[in-house]
Amino acid sequence: MKHIFLRSFYALLVRPWLKYIIGVNFQNREIFNDLDQYIIVANHNSHFDTVSIMAALPGKKIKSTSAVAAADYFGKTSLASRATNFFFNAILIHRKNNEGGPSTLDILDEQLKKGQSLVLFPEGSRGKPGVIKDFKTGIAVLLKQNPTIPFVPVYLDGFGRVLPKDNKLIIPLVCKVRLGSPIYPKNEDIDAILDEVKKAVLELKNNDERDRNQFEY
Amino acid sequence: MIFFGYHIPIEVIYVLAIIFSILTICSVIFQILYYKKETTLLKELITRIHSWWKITIGIAIIITAPPIIGTILLAFISFVALREMFSIGRIRSADRVALFVGYFAVPVQYYLAYNNFYEVFLYFIPLIMFISIPVILVLTGKTKMIGRSMSIIPAMLMLTVYMLSYIALLFNIESTNFSAGPGGLIIFLIMLTSFNDVFQFTWGKLLGRHKILPNVSPNKTWEGFVGGIFSTAGLAYLIKFLTPLEGYQALIIGFIIGVIGFLGDSLISAIKRDLNIKDTDDLIPGHGGAMDRLDSIILTAPVFYHLLTYFIEH
Repeated sequence: MKHIFLRSFYALLVRPWLKYIIGVNFQNREIFNDLDQYIIVANHNSHFDTVSIMAALPGKKIKSTSAVAAADYFGKTSLASRATNFFFNAILIHRKNNEGGPSTLDILDEQLKKGQSLVLFPEGSRGKPGVIKDFKTGIAVLLKQNPTIPFVPVYLDGFGRVLPKDNKLIIPLVCKVRLGSPIYPKNEDIDAILDEVKKAVLELKNNDERDRNQFEY
Repeated sequence: MIFFGYHIPIEVIYVLAIIFSILTICSVIFQILYYKKETTLLKELITRIHSWWKITIGIAIIITAPPIIGTILLAFISFVALREMFSIGRIRSADRVALFVGYFAVPVQYYLAYNNFYEVFLYFIPLIMFISIPVILVLTGKTKMIGRSMSIIPAMLMLTVYMLSYIALLFNIESTNFSAGPGGLIIFLIMLTSFNDVFQFTWGKLLGRHKILPNVSPNKTWEGFVGGIFSTAGLAYLIKFLTPLEGYQALIIGFIIGVIGFLGDSLISAIKRDLNIKDTDDLIPGHGGAMDRLDSIILTAPVFYHLLTYFIEH
C-alpha cells in the first residue's frame, strides 16, 4: 500500500514538479532497466539531491532503494525522521561515532545483503557548490565487501543554486541529474576503489563545460 | 468549421493541414533514406523533425484551443525561456530573491494580456519590474557586481516575458472584417518568423559569399539576409488571407519581420557567444534550448502587433 502510494507520489507529483517547474533534466535514466542492485554515489550540495535522485529512479525501484541520511540532522525530531523514513526509505546513520551501537558500515552492509540498494553521498555533508570534497572510505569498503553490486556514479549539476546550503528559498533554475553507467570496481585495494569512484563522478562533471552549481559571486 | 461545439476558422485548418503534410512528407523521406543508409546526418535530421512535430502540435493547440488554454501554454513557454536565461546568465548568489520575484512577472504579464489591460500590459515589465528588481537587489545589500545584475535581470524579463506575451495579446484583436480570427494572426506571425529563418539559411547556403556579422554569427551572409527578407515578404503576400491586411501592408510586414527576425537571431547568438556556449540548453533534441527556437520571435512579436494594430486602425 505504502509502495503504491510512494510510486504514484513520485510519478505524478515529484517528478513533474522537478521537471517542469524546477527545471530538472534527468539524463540516461535507462541504465536502471537491467540492474537489480546498485549503490548510487553522488556529489552533495543541496537538500534537493536526495529527492531528485529518488525521482530519477524507475517506479518499481523506489521500494528497494534507501537513502542514507545523517541521524544528527534528519533524526532531530520524530516527525523529521518519520518523514525521511517514509519518503526516502531512509537509513539514518550517525556521522560521529555512536558508542555501543553497531557501526555505520555494518548497518549498511546488512541492508545490502538483504537486497536493498543505497543512495550515498560519500562527501559526508553538503559541500561548497562546484567543489567535490574528498570521499569518505565507507563506500569503498562496502563495494569491496559486496563485489557483485556495482556503483552508479551520479553528478548533480545545478542544485547548489536551486537550494543552497543555509538557505530556504527554492528558485527554479535548469539542473541536470547526470546518471553514469553502472561500474563494477576493478581493484581490490580500498584506496584504489575510492579513487575509481571519485574519478567516475568527476568524469560526469567534466562531460559538460558548463558548471551550473556555481554562482559568480 | 465546428469541432466539439467550438469554432475553428477554415483558413487556420487549411494552413495547419499544409504544415502537417510537409512534416509528414519530410518524416517519410528521411525515414526511407535512413532505412537505406544509416548516416549521422540523417539521424540528426530525424531528431530535428521529431522535435518539429512536437513544436507544431504545440502551436496547433495554441491557435485552435480556447484563448485561456493558449495563454496558459504561452505563459509556460515564457517561464521555461526565462528559467533558461536565468540559468545561463551570470547570476550572483545575492540575486536569488530578485530572480524569485522575477518569475512572478510571468503570470501577472499573461493575466494582463488575457484580460486586455493594454496600458498596464505595456508598462508592467518596462516600468514596474524595471524599478522593483534593482530595488530588491539594493535591499539585499550586496553591491559587488550589482550593476550587472540590475541590468541583466530586467533585460531577460523583457526578452522572454514581455516580448512573447504580445502573442497572447493577439487573442484580443477584434475580428470584424476577417474570418481567420486571432488564431490566424498567430499562425501568420509564427509562420513568417520561422520560415524567415529557413529562407535566410537556405539562401545563405545556396549563394552566400559576403559575411554580414562575422564576429557574431559567422554563418550569416548578405545573400542569405536579402534573399530571406524578399522570400518572407512573398510568403506574407501569399498567406495574407489569415489577416485583415491589404496586399501592400502584408508585403511591408513581411519585409520588416524578415529584418527583425534576423536581428533577434543575432541578438541571442551574441549573448551565447559572450557566455561561450553553443546552445542555451538541451531541452529540445536537435535544436538546443527553448531560447534557441524563440530567438527570432521574441523580436518579431511586438513589432508585428504594433504594425498590425496601426494598419487596422488606419
